[in-house]
Amino acid sequence: MRIRGFFLFRRFGLPAFIVLLLLFALVLMSLRAKQRGGVEFFDALLMEICSPFQKAATFTVKTVQGTFRQYVFLVNLEKENRVLKQKIAELQEENHRMKEMKLTNERMRQLLQFREKNSPFMIGAEVIGQDPSSWFKSVTIDKGEGDGVKKGMAVILPTGVIGQVLKTAPHYATVLLVTDYNSAIACIVQRTRAKAILEGIGENRCQLKYLLRADEAAVGDVVVTSGLGGNFPKGLRVGEIKKIDKRGHGVFQYAELVPSVDLTQLEEVFVIMEPMSPAQPQEEKGKRGKKIKK
Amino acid sequence: MKRVVLPLLLGVFLLILQTTWLRFFPIHRVRPDILLIFTLYLGLSFPPVSGGILAFLMGYLMDLFSGNALGFYALSRPLVFFAAQFFRERFYLEGFYSKFLFAFIYAVLEGLLIFLLMNALHPSPLGGLYPLLLTSLLPQSFFTALVTPPLFFLFQIGSSFLFRQPEKGIMEKV
Repeated sequence: MRIRGFFLFRRFGLPAFIVLLLLFALVLMSLRAKQRGGVEFFDALLMEICSPFQKAATFTVKTVQGTFRQYVFLVNLEKENRVLKQKIAELQEENHRMKEMKLTNERMRQLLQFREKNSPFMIGAEVIGQDPSSWFKSVTIDKGEGDGVKKGMAVILPTGVIGQVLKTAPHYATVLLVTDYNSAIACIVQRTRAKAILEGIGENRCQLKYLLRADEAAVGDVVVTSGLGGNFPKGLRVGEIKKIDKRGHGVFQYAELVPSVDLTQLEEVFVIMEPMSPAQPQEEKGKRGKKIKK
Repeated sequence: MKRVVLPLLLGVFLLILQTTWLRFFPIHRVRPDILLIFTLYLGLSFPPVSGGILAFLMGYLMDLFSGNALGFYALSRPLVFFAAQFFRERFYLEGFYSKFLFAFIYAVLEGLLIFLLMNALHPSPLGGLYPLLLTSLLPQSFFTALVTPPLFFLFQIGSSFLFRQPEKGIMEKV
């Protein structure tokens, strides 16, 4: 019997392993869909291990890039001008650093003013990585559960909405950008107060769904958050309508929108730590378990 | 042990490369997927069990750092690995063009699989995704395939330092 069992194992061991591995991946997908705690624990653990390296790599890239832009291109100069050019390079480097400091200072002042004006319950975070896949749109930030960041929290900039926290680890978190297909935020058209749901369609574009055909909306209209759902403060700029589409004879019209923030150039962001109004209903898209659990 | 841990560390390094350095690639939508290339290399040169587990872990790590909440890559990467294993004897993989074609086909097929899964599991139709098949999937697959031959060459050099039979990824050097 043992010999037969061994023979069967030898014969079917590899196919069984392949099937088991793929089944395991499917079970994992199912557990993720149900938001089970065990999977999240492993996610957080692995993220915690990998993210410091990611942070270090980003730092290296930024340093090398800065040096490359301001210095290395100036190295190969004619010999007779070397001293002068060196001096120029040093001055340029100094100038660059000053400019960079000035820009950072201005940016920080804007962020601080924004924070004081809108909500004191915000923390700043640095973007340390982008989505490894081209199908999904997310970034990794250097703040996590240890800093009070939780799933579903809003991530913004003074210029507009960035997205919401999707996964968390003790010191890092993944932010789902508004341009991702899985993102959905309640919005209103600023001029006409028409309500709609903002969904991502990738490539730095979004669309407004469930915008009633009877509601007025035009190209160039600014769209802001409605505040429904409690995660995003009301009135934050989301983007500008670029195209209106009244498909067929349905109840709704659709609008394509360009986000007000360039989501490919993110460096620092704000995470809103406090829900804006907990009593308000949960945000949109209450369909087949797709929505991110808040 | 070495044949699992070292490739895993290399995979983590490639993932970090993909999420940080490659963001400075001039055209965002055509960033090559170097983790896919690594998975293909595993499929061509590693045994099914350790390679399968490595491919799964690569997919899991991809999911972890992406906005993909369900974990499609933990499924697609082992599938890519086993498909590469299955077809490795049927493909002539010596020249540049054959490696290019091999990687291009797998990149397109994996993209289509992700696309199908996204459509199947999304509550509403994702009409906006269809244009991406042409504007994003094909160019990205092309660039991934373009980078594949030199990366395969580098992986082979690395393997020859680590293994006695680098083409099989086995027999650790003492």
